[in-house]
Amino acid sequence: MRWLAATLAAVSLAAHGHEEKSRPASPLAKTSYMAVIREAPDFTLRDVEGKSVRLSELRGKSVLVAFIYTTCTGACPLLSARMSRLQQKLAAAHIPAALVSVTVDPERDDAKTLGAYAKRFGARPGWYFVREEPARLAPVLAAYDEWTRREPPGELDHPARLHLIDAAGRVREIYSLAFFDEEQAFLDIRALHREASSR
Amino acid sequence: MNARRLLPSLLPTLVASAIAGALVAGPAAAETCLSPYIKARAAGPEKVMYLWMLPAGQGSDFLAVIDVDLASATYGKVLKRIEVGSAGNEAHHMGYTDDRGRIWAAALNTSRFFIFDVRTDPMNPKLERVIDDVPKLTGLSGPHTPYAIPGRMLITMASGPDGTGTGGVVEFTNEGKYIASHKTPNNAYEIVVKPEFNTMLVSSWVPQKMFMSPLDKWDPKQFSNSVTVWNFKSRKIVQELKGDPVPLATRWALKPNSTYGYSISNAGNSIWMFRRGKDGKFSYRKAADLSSNCLPGDLRQSPDDRYVYVSCIGSGEIQAWDISRPDKIRLHDTVQGVVQANMMHLTNDGKRLYVTNSAISSIDFSPRYALRLIHVAPDGRMKQDPFFHIDFSKAPDGPARPHDMLLN
Repeated sequence: MRWLAATLAAVSLAAHGHEEKSRPASPLAKTSYMAVIREAPDFTLRDVEGKSVRLSELRGKSVLVAFIYTTCTGACPLLSARMSRLQQKLAAAHIPAALVSVTVDPERDDAKTLGAYAKRFGARPGWYFVREEPARLAPVLAAYDEWTRREPPGELDHPARLHLIDAAGRVREIYSLAFFDEEQAFLDIRALHREASSR
Repeated sequence: MNARRLLPSLLPTLVASAIAGALVAGPAAAETCLSPYIKARAAGPEKVMYLWMLPAGQGSDFLAVIDVDLASATYGKVLKRIEVGSAGNEAHHMGYTDDRGRIWAAALNTSRFFIFDVRTDPMNPKLERVIDDVPKLTGLSGPHTPYAIPGRMLITMASGPDGTGTGGVVEFTNEGKYIASHKTPNNAYEIVVKPEFNTMLVSSWVPQKMFMSPLDKWDPKQFSNSVTVWNFKSRKIVQELKGDPVPLATRWALKPNSTYGYSISNAGNSIWMFRRGKDGKFSYRKAADLSSNCLPGDLRQSPDDRYVYVSCIGSGEIQAWDISRPDKIRLHDTVQGVVQANMMHLTNDGKRLYVTNSAISSIDFSPRYALRLIHVAPDGRMKQDPFFHIDFSKAPDGPARPHDMLLN
């Protein structure tokens, strides 16, 4: 049972805000190269209260779009925890930005489940947790080159990328777990904010 | 909600996540020498190999689909070939996209990119898109290594649009939309990214017009001899490491935060070691001389950072070097008998090393084209499998040259 003790010790550290200590520290790049990757495909999905959230209506500020599901035991909880810290940093710096977490598992993630998940990660206003029925979600996933594959026992394999969209609605960076660090994402969003403000 | 209130509320989620992760057999690690951003294979031994090939006579370049599932009745057989619809492309290197959903296959001669869908049905790849006008689009030619980053591919390009001069690195979306080009002061060959240090290394070789010429036309004065060090996020070159000429394959030790790795110099017959210092500056020095007739073609690494494998195009030898003392590497074992040995691909368990033996149509000296398999024992000793032998010199559709491989 040594592994269990080690796991619980590691998780305990994680829960107290030190989970990133074991992650290699990446030197931050103050001036990231953020070419226009492409126009961000627009979508309209529903938040946990059933209200429509349209990506193009969030224009004018940076938007970070993540693809997650609530029973995920791999990348998603780490990404959501980092997004939570990112939202706090952005709020403290008064940088306008929106976060959007799209569930790729709408059959299990009903509005109530997704709402509870948002609450667990301390989501504040401006962080949208959104879903849609599978048939309506499918074209959104395809437009972002996302896909899902059922794997036992109940896991969903999916790419779990995050797309950083600028104020003009263009994808400027794509992160995965190995790339996504809230400190670096903060610098990237701040750079996009300054770029938009200077126009 | 502030962090102090938030974190205890996350405890159940993170505990469940960690315990589930510990209890459930997760996917195997990705194979070595691939981008660290590529999703791992499903657990268990490989089932299928994709081999990027060009005919030795007439006909279209093609992707061969090979059964490498030991439990299969057709183990060791070519199941199908997916032709790309044009000849003379010079099939060479390939790379998975970050999600393993697509393969980008680059053509040295025509600079085309062929994008195959391998997600829909891994046993039946489909040619999804061909990008024809790469030199016009990117200002660069002679694509070598496609390398995955999230949602995008980086591809090293040897030279300018006319096949001469220095090259660079180009970026495309996974689907094939062009994003950007970044120039290099050399003829870019291969990429390795170490995310922990926000660092990318790019090795080098020769311009396109030279590598598509017979070997006696290669001009040593034009050989590149450097590995560039990049701030990866800002895509800026911060250092140029100069050593023996034509530093081809470059591998960074896999253990997180490892500061060192190796390159092979094809024209210098040597192994070079790079190391990142505490100040972020890199040193670069010769780690070992190879035999004068080796002409190393590829360098692969074991998943435990214990060995690197060198293929000798000149002598037909595969060498295992013990790198457990990184600054004092030593030759551990050799296997003979793969004439013109070139590309290698090591399985993610480190036990099986596949080898092909065509370099470039312009410089191949033996027509005995084949795919062979070398078994690696726990003590690092190698033994060629006498039964696994796909002889492409006698392929039913005519002889063909095998180069780069990917497993699924």
